[in-house]
Amino acid sequence: MTDTRSMSRSAKTDLAISLVLIAAAVALPFMIDSRYILGQIVLALFYATIASQWNLLFGFSGIFSLAQMAIFAFGGYATAMLCFYFGWNVWAALVPGALGAVLFSLVVGLACLRLTGVYVALLTLAIAQTMYLLIVTDTECFVMVGSVCRQFTGGAVGFARFGDLGTRALLRAQWLVGNYAIIAVLFGITMVFTYAIVKSPIGLAFRALKDNPGYAVARGVNRFQAQLLVFGISAFFTGLAGGFYAAHFQAIGPGVLSMSQLMFIIAIVVVGGVGTFWGPLVGTVVLVLADELMRESGEFRTLGLGLIIALSVVLMPKGLVGRFGDLVRWLTRKRSGPTNSKPVMSNIVQSPAAAGK
Amino acid sequence: MTDVLMAILVAGFTSGALYALATVGLSLVWGSMGMLNMAHAAMLTLGGYVAFTVITSLGLPIAIGFAGAILVGAAAGAILYFAIVRNLLKNDKSTFEANVMIATVGIGIALENAILLTYGGQPLKQPVSITGAFRLGPLTLPWQNLLIIAVVVVMMVVVSLALGRTRMGRAIRATAQNRDAAQLMGVAVNRVYLQVLMLSGALAGICGVMVSSMTQLSPPLGNDPMLKAFIMCVVAGLGNLPGAVAAALGLALLESFVQYALGARWGFPSLLFVVIAVLIWRPSGLFGRAEIRRM
Repeated sequence: MTDTRSMSRSAKTDLAISLVLIAAAVALPFMIDSRYILGQIVLALFYATIASQWNLLFGFSGIFSLAQMAIFAFGGYATAMLCFYFGWNVWAALVPGALGAVLFSLVVGLACLRLTGVYVALLTLAIAQTMYLLIVTDTECFVMVGSVCRQFTGGAVGFARFGDLGTRALLRAQWLVGNYAIIAVLFGITMVFTYAIVKSPIGLAFRALKDNPGYAVARGVNRFQAQLLVFGISAFFTGLAGGFYAAHFQAIGPGVLSMSQLMFIIAIVVVGGVGTFWGPLVGTVVLVLADELMRESGEFRTLGLGLIIALSVVLMPKGLVGRFGDLVRWLTRKRSGPTNSKPVMSNIVQSPAAAGK
Repeated sequence: MTDVLMAILVAGFTSGALYALATVGLSLVWGSMGMLNMAHAAMLTLGGYVAFTVITSLGLPIAIGFAGAILVGAAAGAILYFAIVRNLLKNDKSTFEANVMIATVGIGIALENAILLTYGGQPLKQPVSITGAFRLGPLTLPWQNLLIIAVVVVMMVVVSLALGRTRMGRAIRATAQNRDAAQLMGVAVNRVYLQVLMLSGALAGICGVMVSSMTQLSPPLGNDPMLKAFIMCVVAGLGNLPGAVAAALGLALLESFVQYALGARWGFPSLLFVVIAVLIWRPSGLFGRAEIRRM
């Protein structure tokens, strides 16, 4: 709510949660021996980073963009191509790759953000599909590598062996722990920036545009500019994650643009809680675990994922974090009695409280 | 030259007819309930496979295959309503648009995967196909294409009669114009929603049979026509039926010209550029009504 006391209480809760998470993140590599599990955790951190940025767009700003994986892929491809064609070091190519993704997102935003709601969703989906089709059907030779023809975009195969994060040379057998640390820091930095944006005045404008566009515009918020700004900000972190993804796996291909990848990200945010700060992380943990469990049953994995998405939208529109908030509120209300238990909230006032969970 | 032109026109009109059928199913649901059905693609595929099962596996006549596709499509629409839409309508109205889209995406994935698990991934041959061509002087029109165009025209007439002349159609149009006013006038809005979803499911079923008769049956069959149907809906302005048909035909002709001139690769990107250009010029589509927002 708007009074400062409860704001600071929610900030304290967030701080406590982050300290626990940091401690857990540091302890994790010492507790896990299995390479497979650590590898999956690194992958989950990528998912959480992308999901947190999609949540910033959709959950906090109301932009229903389906180009999230396209921007992620753009960052990854830009980084890979800088290394592949110009022989850059991966570390030098990461930020230019992310800036390339921002540029790409601004072009997409200029084309799409004049529209609202599902029009944005459909157009961004079409752009992402076009990018996928153009890459997969690219057959023209751009350079010859040995006797093999390489397409400019890497074609259906993509890029591989263009360099890595340098952890293999530095840590040898323990390289995966090094990569884990790097990606965990990336995720942490992304979350800190996202928090700062959400709590800042411009974050308030984003949320106002989501909750009541008409009112926000009438109060002097420029919808197009503000949404373009948040689109660009989230594209930076998404693109950066894309670059790190390419560097971690030492490969990037059109597979990241597939519909199922995008759906996994959306499922994470929906299950965790749309428009809640910790939702994407909770969703990642739950869905990656569910995914691992369903891996046993092999072929039913995609089927199960689809049903999870549909059921969680129907049964818990605010996700697990929202349900948890309901539970906490129900418990505290029971303790403090029914005094003024249901305040009249307008949408705009309600959101900061939901954001703090 | 005329041969080539003719081939392009025939291909354009055929795919235009198919896109129109897919677009109308989508646009109907959007126009009357503000719901974007992302599971429409999977319902299309379902229709194609049902016709295949009825005709090839059970050995029944083609007409029953069609009827089966229509019935199963309508049933899928009804299930979608009872399992998802009805529950989401209970929640806050402002979240419905996005929630229903995400939920139907989930249903679509699950349905497509269920089809994959049941029938396997290898392409199957749709038995509803006619070989040979109709010749008239220099013109060559394959019967298959003529059949598709004929079926689509019949369906369009049926839909426009159902919407224009029946009591149900009047209720659907009233709900589309103003849901609250319709409800206050005694229209059972929930029943209208059920009817619209069943109608759209039936259209998806037929469309699936027709699309698969042009190519082959495979689980991701519906995705490509659906993505194009989305684009056409957006160009026309979501919810506008005659506009959707016009946009479908126009863009399909454009697509087949571009595919001939620049290669198949550029067909879809060129559509996208047209759409973006149109939307910058008219943000709610060519024929869409501008939304007036009240505080």
